[in-house]
Amino acid sequence: MNRSNRTAFERIEQMIIVSSLLLMVVVTVQPVLNLLAISFSDPAQVPGMSGLAIVPSGFSLDVWSLLISHPNVQRGLLNSVFISLSGTLLNVTFTALMAWALSRPDLPGRRLWFVLVLVTVVFEPGLIPDYFVVRELGLLNSYWSVILFKMINAWYLIILIRFFEEVPKELVEAAELDGANAFQILWRVVLPLTRSALATITLFYLVYHWNEFLRPMIYLNDQGMWPLQVVLRQFVVEGDKAAIVGAQAMNNYEGASQISMRALKAGMIILTIAPILAVYPLILKFFTKGTMSGALKG
Amino acid sequence: MAGTEQTSTGIPVKNGNVPRPSGRRRLSAGEMRRQNFGIKLRKWWPYYLMLLPGLLYFGVFHYFPIWQAKLAFEDFRIIGPNVWVGLKHFQTLFASPVFLNVLFNTLLISAMKIVFVFPVPIFLALMINEVRGSNLRRFVQSAIYLPHFLSWVVIAGVFIAALSPSDGVVNEVRGWVGLAPEAFMTQSGSIRWVIVFSEIWRSAGWDSLLYFAAIMAIDPQLYDAAEMDGANRWQKIIFVTLPGITPTIATLFILNVGLFMSAGFDQVFNLSNDAIRDQIDIVDTYVYRLGMQSGQFSLATAAGLFKGIIGMTLIVAAHNLSKRLTGKGVW
Repeated sequence: MNRSNRTAFERIEQMIIVSSLLLMVVVTVQPVLNLLAISFSDPAQVPGMSGLAIVPSGFSLDVWSLLISHPNVQRGLLNSVFISLSGTLLNVTFTALMAWALSRPDLPGRRLWFVLVLVTVVFEPGLIPDYFVVRELGLLNSYWSVILFKMINAWYLIILIRFFEEVPKELVEAAELDGANAFQILWRVVLPLTRSALATITLFYLVYHWNEFLRPMIYLNDQGMWPLQVVLRQFVVEGDKAAIVGAQAMNNYEGASQISMRALKAGMIILTIAPILAVYPLILKFFTKGTMSGALKG
Repeated sequence: MAGTEQTSTGIPVKNGNVPRPSGRRRLSAGEMRRQNFGIKLRKWWPYYLMLLPGLLYFGVFHYFPIWQAKLAFEDFRIIGPNVWVGLKHFQTLFASPVFLNVLFNTLLISAMKIVFVFPVPIFLALMINEVRGSNLRRFVQSAIYLPHFLSWVVIAGVFIAALSPSDGVVNEVRGWVGLAPEAFMTQSGSIRWVIVFSEIWRSAGWDSLLYFAAIMAIDPQLYDAAEMDGANRWQKIIFVTLPGITPTIATLFILNVGLFMSAGFDQVFNLSNDAIRDQIDIVDTYVYRLGMQSGQFSLATAAGLFKGIIGMTLIVAAHNLSKRLTGKGVW
């Protein structure tokens, strides 16, 4: 019941549990820290570096200055930021508008719209029909194709509807009696009361856009429009050195690029993770809270 | 809808929604309906304005593709209209050993994930729950949730580096016990285990959150009562915690079965390479290669549609089963 009652056996149990959890933490974090260390190491020392190292051997910003000054990376970053921010803005706006309308219990036709949304969750006709729709709309090679894809995520819509439904009826009715219209009620009453749900949805969408690689890859033929994930994929997964070093520079760089290819890849991966790491504290704050309360509510 | 009548309470009287006193005579049924419609329209048109962009989106980006899927029954023509060919492409698919292999891989990888990945977050949540210090607990949780938010492109990059036969951490550790380096990413014997392990790496932590939340929701009095009866740690886990999270386990298990046809496009797509493609190629990646790389649009659409229909059947069945067993559906 209290600490003194604990037997030696229980203490060993506790040690086993804690150490296996810490091992899990190490397995999760170490490979990323290793890449971070490699990216800041002296390029000449990278080939001999251990995969276990989490401290740079020698310190150098060569890799980062090469990456940051590379046009493909710069464009990739800009494209990613642009697509993520504008996409998320549209996502949140239209998800909130639709959720607010659908959260009104006596909206005429509510059930029908619900069913129509659910059908799209259950049945997905696949990649090729999606591609043909974008083509028919003339959106191939336009940022709109990736910004509008998944503009409203049905799951997030449903989550938001649940939160909006919990806004006290009396508040909404009082606002209606004061002559507020639907938009004013949403803006002044509902949204301020559901801030943390909105923050959660916003972060969900932001992470989704930042991580998306397939649709930009298919819809955007012009490599100058590619977001960072596609550039990273071309370089690290496809092993296409020209994607980072540049086709002409390849020959001149041969010596240097051979030495630091591992470091360049590591730096590129870290660069792509960096924005996620930047919002991760917020994610922990809102996502975990949201998921917990959602599960508690059942 | 029973709620329709109640709307009148919510309508502001001063806006003139109430019948004018001038029309004292009784209204006919038709007039009533028209008047009701007028009241409804007045109240609800702003809401429909809000719905409009969303409905347009679902129409254009979800229902229009369903219509486009008719390509599966047609021969694609670059010039001129497509030609209706019925089930020809489905017959071609099922006569093709490649498609059958891809189908087999999809089922095998999904099955492997259910057997080897699904239980991990349950154990993790149970273990995290046994950690006493809340700081240590929070530290562990913040670390293991992280990979869930990384793209599969990034994770593939991390795994390619960590599994490298020349300088990867895994082969370095194997070297300590005298094992020769292995190229896990390019060997047909190991690549499916790379899929399993990378899935654990990415999602076990985050998925444990759902179970952990369920554990937190268990009534603390149950633990007190168990303690009174002299239950030790293991007995409390077996007789209080596990029964408490069984509904969550059941729901998530059924959902996983419902998603059986989606073995994980992003993951396989980024971890794949020419050496081991036949081992992990799944329906989704096959559709991509057939359509986007070989330009066989009709055949690819047919494969995608086949997967979509089986997937729909599974998920609807899963939803109904979950609803019947645990009272909680998938949506």
